[in-house]
Amino acid sequence: MRGMRRASLALGVATAVVLGLAGSVFGQSASPDEKPLTFHVGTTEDINSVNPFKAFNTSDYEVLLLNYNMLDGFSAEDLSPVPELTTGCEASSDHMTWTCEIRDDVTWQDGKPLTAEDIAFTYTLIVDKQLGYFVDYLPFDPTFEAPDATTLIWKAQEPTLAPTVPPYIPILPEHIWGKFATKSVKEIEGFEPMPLIGSGPFQLTEWKPGQFWRMEAVPDSIFGTSTIDEIVYHVYGNEEAMVQALKSGEIDFAYDVPPTLGKSLEGEKNIKVLRKAADYHTNLAFNFGGQSKAYPSVYGGQPEKKETNHPAIRDHAVRLAIAHAIDKQALADTVFQGAAIPADTFISPDKAFWHLDIPANEEYDFNIDEANQILDDAGYTKRTADGIRIDPKSGKPLSFDIITITNCCESVKSGELMAGWMDEIGIKFNLRPVTDTKAGVDWKYGTFDAYVWDWGGDPDPDFNMSLYTTDQCLGWSDGCFSSPTLDKLYEEQRRTFDRKARQAIVYDFERAHYEEIPEIALVYPEVLYAYSTDWEGWVNSPTKGGGPIFAWRVDSYMNLKPVVAGGNSGADGGGMSTGLLIAIGAIAVIVVVAFVVMGRRRSEEDEA
Amino acid sequence: MSRRYLLRHVLHAVGTLLFVLAFNFILFREIGDPVELLTHSTLHLDPSEKAALREELGIDDPLPAQFVNYVGDSLRGEFGYSFITGRPVIESVAEKIWPTILLVGTSTILSTLFGVLIGIRGAWRRGSAFDTGSLLGSLTLYSMPEGWLGMLLLILFVGILGWFPAGGIESTDRLTGFAHVLDVAKHLFLPCLTLTLGYLGEFAIIMRSSLLEVMGEDFIQTARAKGVRDKEVRRRHAVPNALLPTFTLTFYSIGFILGGAVIVEQVFSWPGLGQLTYAAIESLDYPVIQAVFLLSSAAVILFNLLADVLYGYLDPRVKEA
Repeated sequence: MRGMRRASLALGVATAVVLGLAGSVFGQSASPDEKPLTFHVGTTEDINSVNPFKAFNTSDYEVLLLNYNMLDGFSAEDLSPVPELTTGCEASSDHMTWTCEIRDDVTWQDGKPLTAEDIAFTYTLIVDKQLGYFVDYLPFDPTFEAPDATTLIWKAQEPTLAPTVPPYIPILPEHIWGKFATKSVKEIEGFEPMPLIGSGPFQLTEWKPGQFWRMEAVPDSIFGTSTIDEIVYHVYGNEEAMVQALKSGEIDFAYDVPPTLGKSLEGEKNIKVLRKAADYHTNLAFNFGGQSKAYPSVYGGQPEKKETNHPAIRDHAVRLAIAHAIDKQALADTVFQGAAIPADTFISPDKAFWHLDIPANEEYDFNIDEANQILDDAGYTKRTADGIRIDPKSGKPLSFDIITITNCCESVKSGELMAGWMDEIGIKFNLRPVTDTKAGVDWKYGTFDAYVWDWGGDPDPDFNMSLYTTDQCLGWSDGCFSSPTLDKLYEEQRRTFDRKARQAIVYDFERAHYEEIPEIALVYPEVLYAYSTDWEGWVNSPTKGGGPIFAWRVDSYMNLKPVVAGGNSGADGGGMSTGLLIAIGAIAVIVVVAFVVMGRRRSEEDEA
Repeated sequence: MSRRYLLRHVLHAVGTLLFVLAFNFILFREIGDPVELLTHSTLHLDPSEKAALREELGIDDPLPAQFVNYVGDSLRGEFGYSFITGRPVIESVAEKIWPTILLVGTSTILSTLFGVLIGIRGAWRRGSAFDTGSLLGSLTLYSMPEGWLGMLLLILFVGILGWFPAGGIESTDRLTGFAHVLDVAKHLFLPCLTLTLGYLGEFAIIMRSSLLEVMGEDFIQTARAKGVRDKEVRRRHAVPNALLPTFTLTFYSIGFILGGAVIVEQVFSWPGLGQLTYAAIESLDYPVIQAVFLLSSAAVILFNLLADVLYGYLDPRVKEA
């Protein structure tokens, strides 16, 4: 018995000694003087790839923004184009040739000089291989030449203002990517260099998929030298974990916090919640059919599935009635908890120069009686036994297959709310919740009547306008909408080089879009950020109403610094210090051992 | 153990594995042409590349030939390339398998150990406060969704107390050696606690009811009548006989380790197979889904076979039945 007690005591002491030693080892590994000044960001969206041509989500684009430079960037004030790698571009009188002067003081992160040849190479590669989403920025079969290190000549087959849009294309080093000029798209998209060599103020040096990625500051970039040494982006499996990490100090910034969690953070010590004005809109986008016809030219074969759109969707009266039966304010108040504003046009109000504000008395007001009257007047008077109106032309009930996206923009809840209103006007919304990937398959074959999704876009409206043109069927169009008016206006603005005159055409386009209803813009959701007040130096982009990071400019990253010098909150694994954890562990072991020893002694005394 | 008993179980396992392979083969081809599926992803292919890929994947071969190739590839661990990342599937799986084994393996061991101890103590002192409390606790934990329990622990230990990290398997401080081990342990604590509590109830309930059944057997009464001490009756006669159902359950649980703990890994951002499966399902990354499905099925079949074989050794009545 005495032997047992001695052994247990020895075990307890040994455990405490080992754990204590471990604590001291651990303590030595984290000297505050040696630690880089790290800014920790939380997000639920991991990067998809380090290959710029596979970039498609917000995180991918944040890496592009920090790691590379573009020909032109965006102004802090209103996101209008400003020179970045160029000092300026001049157009020929016919606007078919642009000559850009390139800066001679920029170097790649490996020390080699960045020249006009790199820009010509990048653009040529994209056009030749029709790469990624970038190729749309380079219209009218352009060619690019670099007669010397500081001159880029951009020639298009038609007049264009593309260089001033500006193209959101990262400029790549030819000495790294040049070997891919003769390779296949598959090989180009399979290239995953690490570290990522660019010319931006930060460099991607580490990526652990599903965990984090690290971007280290590079001195003397175009934007100067950052005050922080590195940024670490932590990837969380859900928003709740991200918010808890912010509360515990594991991260300094939480990106895209859901409205409900945002409210829970209000009043938290050292945490501030910021609402960024919406730069996108959610929509109910209709499918007009035509995918089967467009399919062969896009995919080089016949589609496996036939499109299934309901013919009544093509009737303007049906779409108008649906527009009157949607209470956008209720969507903003209930689904988005007030963190959204009702939408009118497809260009969000943060792009103030281009956004057309439809006057309140001209908007489709929420009016169930009027919606019913519109449908009655259009001949949808017969109903099924369930009260669903019947299309007089096809004889089909107005029962629509509506896709809602489970991983996007409150789509499912918005769909559920709208389905209730539709019941009141004799239209059935059969909701089909799927992931965005699955919805992409339905989109490809046109096997839906409408979906609830969202659209963002560049500060320039060209791309967003193109979505509603005939040529974009199976390109970027939601449901192959085709309108001669919109096609004409789109082409007209593309060839209008006076900014004010172009604005008038864009307004006309927005008005025509609003009246023809290829989609119903539902709300402009705000993006919620939450951040630690231990940091200062935040710069919003655009200055008014924009976000500090995951935005259009790198200003915040260049200016951030801890409020208290050396007070990098930082994540060292989070929460309780390891020394304290070890002490608690040691105590727990000793308590368990003592418990066992006492239990045995009592048991033996009982038996004695 | 008879050779016939062993052969029967091995054949049964091989048959099940072949069924799973065939099911996987048919299911994957029913979804659609893999090349068409590939073009849904962000990987852009031109027509000539598509044709080359068709040839590489052997899609135009007769189905039986495709099946033979598929079985061969699967046995060699060649599951193709992820539609989303373009990386070989086996690489992604190999990267994620160890975190899952660490998490689910540790919690299976801990929940078995503590579940059995709680079950034994509860059954032996039937009707005591400990028995009532542990039974109630076990039932509560058994019926509690693991994701919800994880979320509660996350809010308490991360948001309120700030004791543990909110997610991941390691911090970003590039730690090495023993410091790294401790760092991983710190990250492991909450997901492991969640799973251990989630599994614990099942083991405790099964052990308790099994031991109660054994306690009513004649040989226990005989042992007591012979004057064997209470502790000895429990240790030598009751518990070994009552352990058999728990033993089976443990093996089944080990088999399910490779299936990952999808929800808990998602709650705690644990970079394991569960998280890989979740992401693959969300993005329709069929090659990854197929590989994980096959591997986890194979693991369950293998551990079922091991359980059956060992059970035959431990309880001769089984193989004679």
